[in-house]
Amino acid sequence: MSISTHEKDGVVILEPEGKIMGGPEATELRNRLYELISANNKKVVIDLGHVEWMNSTGLGILISGMTSLRNNEGELKLSSISEKVANLFEITKLNNVFESYDSTDDAVGSFG
Amino acid sequence: MSENKSYRLEIPSSQNHLAEADRFLEGHLKQHGIDQDSIADLAISATELINNAIIHGNKSNPDKIVTIELEFTDKHLSISITDQGPGFKPEDIPSPISDENILKEAGRGIFIVRSLVDDLQVEEPPEGGTRMIIIKKLAS
Repeated sequence: MSISTHEKDGVVILEPEGKIMGGPEATELRNRLYELISANNKKVVIDLGHVEWMNSTGLGILISGMTSLRNNEGELKLSSISEKVANLFEITKLNNVFESYDSTDDAVGSFG
Repeated sequence: MSENKSYRLEIPSSQNHLAEADRFLEGHLKQHGIDQDSIADLAISATELINNAIIHGNKSNPDKIVTIELEFTDKHLSISITDQGPGFKPEDIPSPISDENILKEAGRGIFIVRSLVDDLQVEEPPEGGTRMIIIKKLAS
């Protein structure tokens, strides 16, 4: 998995690419997220547009990132969720938990 | 009537081998003409069960192996994941969509598998461990 990071309007955007299934790629995403939180970033968007699929390990990392950011008075939002990943959010009811947007620009703009 | 086909892979109990297991499964599923959407559902489900086998079954003990078997018959395909652990009861897992569990980081794997495949069976092989079997019906 490759994960690119960039910043727009004070919001850090993570773009993981590939599959998130629980191996080294999951560890990399978890670590990258925690580096951002440790560096006191409070506005984070994860663009899931290039994630082919994920399993519950990926969902767990997103939940952990969201709750850690909230505990640090920050916020995690999601964007560009593919159909396969969206289906998993619906099955697990996590679509009611995460704030998500069709595009990364919309997600960044929502921070106001 | 076509002949049954089966394939087998053994991996050490390390998540570093997940991608290898995924390539093995997706490669054979594609070779047998399974559609891409179903391949993704089966790969998601199989990797859930392989993670469980590595972490909960074999306690990430590298001396223990996880066996992955894929079988195609005329009517269905099955993916079996067998560990060498003490066994568990899937019905003991609390609902991951209840209010008290919705924000927990783990505990969704079996729930997801049951939602994505036609059937999930649990066996206790005579030699020990747990065998989880994913069943997908094939169009005749």
